[in-house]
Amino acid sequence: MKKDKPLTDRRHFLRAGALAAAGAVAAAAGGLAAESPSESNGKIRYGMVVDVRKCVGCKACAVACKAENHTPPGVAYNIVKEQEIGTYPDVRRRFIFRPCMQCSTPSCTKVCPTKATHIREDGIVAIDYDRCIGCRYCISACPYGVRAFDYGHDYHQQRTPFEMQPSPEYGQNRKRKPRQSPVGNVRKCTFCVHRVKKNLAPACAVTCIGNAIHFGNLNDPDGRCWVHGEKLRTLLSAHNCIRLREELGNNPAVYYLI
Amino acid sequence: MKDKSILASSASRSIGYILLIVATAAGLWFMADKFISGPIHEGTTQHVTWGIWVSGYIFFLGLSAGSFLISTLIYVFGVKRLEEAGPASLVQALGCLILGGILIVLDAGHPERMYMVLLHFNPTSVMAYMGLFYNVYIAILVVEIYFALRPRIIEKIQSGDRPAWLYRTLSLGSRRLDPESLQRDKKWLMVLGILGIPAAIIVHGGVGTIFAVAKARPSWLGGLFPILFIVSALTSGGALLTFLTAAFSRLPDERKLPLVRSLAHLTIAVLLIDALIMFADSLTTAYSAIPLPSATEGLVLFGPYWWLFWIVEVGLGIVVPIAIVVLPQTRNRNGWLGFLGLSVVIAMLAARFTLVIPPQITPLFPESLGAYDHFRYAYGYSPSVMDLMVFVGVVAIGMWIMLLAGKYLPLEVASHGSATEGDAQS
Repeated sequence: MKKDKPLTDRRHFLRAGALAAAGAVAAAAGGLAAESPSESNGKIRYGMVVDVRKCVGCKACAVACKAENHTPPGVAYNIVKEQEIGTYPDVRRRFIFRPCMQCSTPSCTKVCPTKATHIREDGIVAIDYDRCIGCRYCISACPYGVRAFDYGHDYHQQRTPFEMQPSPEYGQNRKRKPRQSPVGNVRKCTFCVHRVKKNLAPACAVTCIGNAIHFGNLNDPDGRCWVHGEKLRTLLSAHNCIRLREELGNNPAVYYLI
Repeated sequence: MKDKSILASSASRSIGYILLIVATAAGLWFMADKFISGPIHEGTTQHVTWGIWVSGYIFFLGLSAGSFLISTLIYVFGVKRLEEAGPASLVQALGCLILGGILIVLDAGHPERMYMVLLHFNPTSVMAYMGLFYNVYIAILVVEIYFALRPRIIEKIQSGDRPAWLYRTLSLGSRRLDPESLQRDKKWLMVLGILGIPAAIIVHGGVGTIFAVAKARPSWLGGLFPILFIVSALTSGGALLTFLTAAFSRLPDERKLPLVRSLAHLTIAVLLIDALIMFADSLTTAYSAIPLPSATEGLVLFGPYWWLFWIVEVGLGIVVPIAIVVLPQTRNRNGWLGFLGLSVVIAMLAARFTLVIPPQITPLFPESLGAYDHFRYAYGYSPSVMDLMVFVGVVAIGMWIMLLAGKYLPLEVASHGSATEGDAQS
């Protein structure tokens, strides 16, 4: 792991005002990233293994994502769905963390009229903000509802210093300006591709207090979680795992241990 | 509206013009706001991403494709009974296409980049093909209108009608009225009509396909939508032509009533097929009781949209028109047949709303509701002031096109009488 990059990340988070707490946790945990992926079989396919049994529904992942990607109000890259099952006293709550599924046969890339949304070499589905016309067809097509349109809302009328920081998304460091991309574009979870480039796991994975979110290269037979070090394939074979709406054939890269 | 033009009454005309000017000004203001402030004042949400603008787009595109396909009955298939509606149906097709275009351009988050669709064409995207064929279709329409109107524009120039500059521009320098050139016009009209049929079907069937292939939305998914869109297009196009001919045509009564009646009968024929497809789709989906699609049907049949479906779509769109052509008191009255056209047009607009909006309201995962507390993630959709006013503005622009086309374009087939129908809807 390169030493200089995490420091830059930390600096971002230390400026983060009210959101700094969650952000700092993410950065600190990022420093503990287990190892970078080996590329034993050539192609990388980044994915997540989410242990829903460990999720406590704290939503720190959602807050860390907001802090990391500077998403505006009304745009959420990941959410935690909640469901209450049963009635008292036989009752429990179920939480499902839902980032972008980074499908290998996504509906969104197929329908995008301008090829603005595309699959990268490493399997991450990305959006070219300068090409996206904001038609929102991808939102209609995505069976997981992970995409959000940036209407141009801001948290405060007078932006705080944190809000004035550029978003590190895709490593582009765009400053938020009225009507300028990504305002008017569709946005989505990128698996924090700007962090991954620096061998740092996504903000949600490093911030998860229940160690429920594992991230790594699914194509590597020995691939381990960047945060916690477990072998991903062992996690998948040793537990019952599902993918959401598998019948649609989108081949998501996010597995859930149930 | 007896057999005279409704434009004849001067008092109602002044009030009409004032309302129209106000509606146009308000519409233009909010259209400008979209470019100045961006999408922030739109009423759509992260669940209902396509609101009344997209519904309006497919409504106007349907009117356009329907009007065009009716024009091909005249120019390609030589149906004599409808001949007098030929030029008006083409101009109506172009007018509606422009109105739909305004709405879809405004709906985009970055309208200034729409050319990217052609520059970075994605061959797997139905929407990209729609964009491409939209341009092909508009080009065919413009050329066809030129050939349909050319002889009468030259007659206008020769008789010294004003504004002379307009007719000189529209004639593109052509002055020939000999039989050979008229024959050439007819040939071109037929060729363009033949080319236009697949173009219109691809554009509007393609819009239906945009919805039909969205596998995330089971209420849209399936092979019925492209067919429904084309049949609905014919229904609404025929209905609008019936209304505009009945209301604005200055043809003599003995020629006007048979034309209006033929158009009304054509409308009813396609309307019945449309209703069959719509009911087959709604009722089978509701019966299946699969949660997501049947939730949509619940919203439409028994939920907050019941009045749009039962009162407007079924009542105004099916019961009233059928009653008008069946009852002896109404079936030979120009005014009633015109009203038939208007009520079907309104019902088709309601049908576009219930087709586009309710399938998006129920979230893909019900647990998503409440996962993020912001009004863009809330359940349901109500159009914002901007959404509504832009829509009103587009309709107002349509009325201007209709009035101006009616006033200045020689839309009548025979060379006696003055200008007749325009385009667009009210």
